[in-house]
Amino acid sequence: MNALVIFSLLAVLMLTGMPISISLGLTVLTFLFTMTQVPLESVALKLFTGIEKFEIMAIPFFILAGNFLTHGGVAKRMINFATSMVGHWYGGLGLAGVMACALFAAVSGSSPATVVAIGSILLPAMVKAGFPNKFGAGVISTSGALGILIPPSIVMVMYSVATNTSVGALFMAGVIPGLLLAATLGGVTWYRAKKFDYPRQPKASWSERFDAFRKSAWGLFLIVVVMGGIYSGMFTPTEAAAMSAVYAFVVAVFIYKDMGLKDVPKVLLNSANMSAMLLYIITNAVLFSFIMTNENIPQALADWMLGNGLGMITFLLAVNIILLLAGNFMEPSSIVLIFAPILFPVAMKLGIDPVHFGIIMVVNMEVGMCHPPVGLNLYVASGITKMGITELTVAVWPWLLSMLVFLGFVTYLPAMSIWLPKTLGMM
Amino acid sequence: MINKALNHLEELLVTFLMGAATIIIFISVMHRYLSGYEIPGLQDWLLSLNVGWAQELCIIMFVWMAKFGAAYGVRTGIHVGVDVLINRLSDRMRGKFIVFGLLAGATFTGIVATLGAHFVWENGAHYAFFKFFGAEMGDLFEGPITPDLEWPTWIVYSAIPLGSSLMCFRFLQVTWSFIKTGELPHHDHGHVDGLEEETPPVDFDPYGMDDNLHMRDMKHTMVGENRRKEHKPVEDDRRKDDLGGMPK
Repeated sequence: MNALVIFSLLAVLMLTGMPISISLGLTVLTFLFTMTQVPLESVALKLFTGIEKFEIMAIPFFILAGNFLTHGGVAKRMINFATSMVGHWYGGLGLAGVMACALFAAVSGSSPATVVAIGSILLPAMVKAGFPNKFGAGVISTSGALGILIPPSIVMVMYSVATNTSVGALFMAGVIPGLLLAATLGGVTWYRAKKFDYPRQPKASWSERFDAFRKSAWGLFLIVVVMGGIYSGMFTPTEAAAMSAVYAFVVAVFIYKDMGLKDVPKVLLNSANMSAMLLYIITNAVLFSFIMTNENIPQALADWMLGNGLGMITFLLAVNIILLLAGNFMEPSSIVLIFAPILFPVAMKLGIDPVHFGIIMVVNMEVGMCHPPVGLNLYVASGITKMGITELTVAVWPWLLSMLVFLGFVTYLPAMSIWLPKTLGMM
Repeated sequence: MINKALNHLEELLVTFLMGAATIIIFISVMHRYLSGYEIPGLQDWLLSLNVGWAQELCIIMFVWMAKFGAAYGVRTGIHVGVDVLINRLSDRMRGKFIVFGLLAGATFTGIVATLGAHFVWENGAHYAFFKFFGAEMGDLFEGPITPDLEWPTWIVYSAIPLGSSLMCFRFLQVTWSFIKTGELPHHDHGHVDGLEEETPPVDFDPYGMDDNLHMRDMKHTMVGENRRKEHKPVEDDRRKDDLGGMPK
């Protein structure tokens, strides 16, 4: 009964369009004032202690690192490298787009920024080379979402915060599905390019390739700093994030010279703005999951599922449907923070691996970013291509469909995600 | 005038906290590895330093950054919501919902500020102030201190009342300017620097993105589903602030 009241209240408040963090907070306050005996003081304390964990601090650091490298110059280097590697195949520039998006998204940590950065450089080049506008827009808007699967990923840190799962294991688990999804999107691109006979680029020589690689390597090394640092045990994930922020600063200012020292305060302010927004949602989501646990809601849901004989397969199907639906209304971090604490205990009862479950959620978020009515990637793509949302939805359809099929594989083949971290002994 | 000073102070504080926290963690990690090498002089000096407090300080700084940054975020319009539904309403109805949402934000942050102030007062601020002014102490409670830095927690926790009050003020400010001008601050999630030279989508317009995560205001035209037919470009002064220059 209480559960129903809580969720209806939350849903109504959210639909009025107020910030998600505020609607979570107001739900909690209403509940506390009217329906329970939990002392208000403990709430005031929770408001502070909710984010008083060193693990959470990885989020601002990763955002800072990404913002230093979210720059047109970095995007251009990645595109050159990708084009020199795969440009001579069918749909060359399209394939290069997938690869460049995967690399840039991993480094910058933001899907919409990837779509803008890669898209606004590559799309005109594609149109000039003779690709239809639709094809390019479809490739870029779907590939831009790869960033939340390929580590370092902020959504994964959010999941680990909400469920106490190891960030290192999650990052490692994201590598294989990330590469496979990039390959899938590339495969669709290649197939369609071959079918419609789209142009290819001249083959680059190995010295050109090496040169392009050398230029983009500084940025790509960020992934090595994070993954290597965590895997070798040199840094905790948060320390790795801080080191990557310092590394990104050095690369952007002293090596690439894309920005001067005078631009640094602006980057700091923008990163602080973004991280404060996410941390504010986390604070309120922690409060929300506190009353959820207090009311035993996840427990009740788990008992109900087990009582009705619903097994793992049905549960995972339901999870996918719920998350895809939620993806129609919210952006990834809010979905993870609200749904993970509810669904996670049920998943544990059914014996699903926590890391595998995290990867399922992340892939769902990726799909959600690429379809309307709320799909940040589509909206920024519509901004740079001048195509309407409806037209774009048709354009991304082949890639979106392949992503959905891929989601099915990720959901029912746990080995795909947990094999690598298991083999490396991280879980 | 005062408002401008407050804006600057807010930005300065948030920028400083972000940068300083990064440097602190960087130094503490460097310290951990460098003190492992036997460099004469340097090693002894490093070992004599204790940086065990770095983690705690970083957390405190980020919590402060989060509270004040959230207030700054209201001003820049970065907070995301579920706006699919209200963005489909008529202008008048949408305006009402927007005002409702903003006032709800003010209410929530106001309540939190009050709760937080009460909490801080009871946990040491009361004692500290009375002690400072030499007033009668009675049986007041001195309040806990943080584990590593041994700072009184009430100072640390005062981020909640201070940050939330500022946020409440910002919500009221945005409500006021929305009622007067029909404009909302808007954050561009896809902003990338350094695209100027080769940006062909010259009139890429962040205000034109109805991403359904932000409330759509009365002033700006939207692309996307193209609910509005007439096209109104971004004003020059806004373009300068938000896009970093004129299109080429």
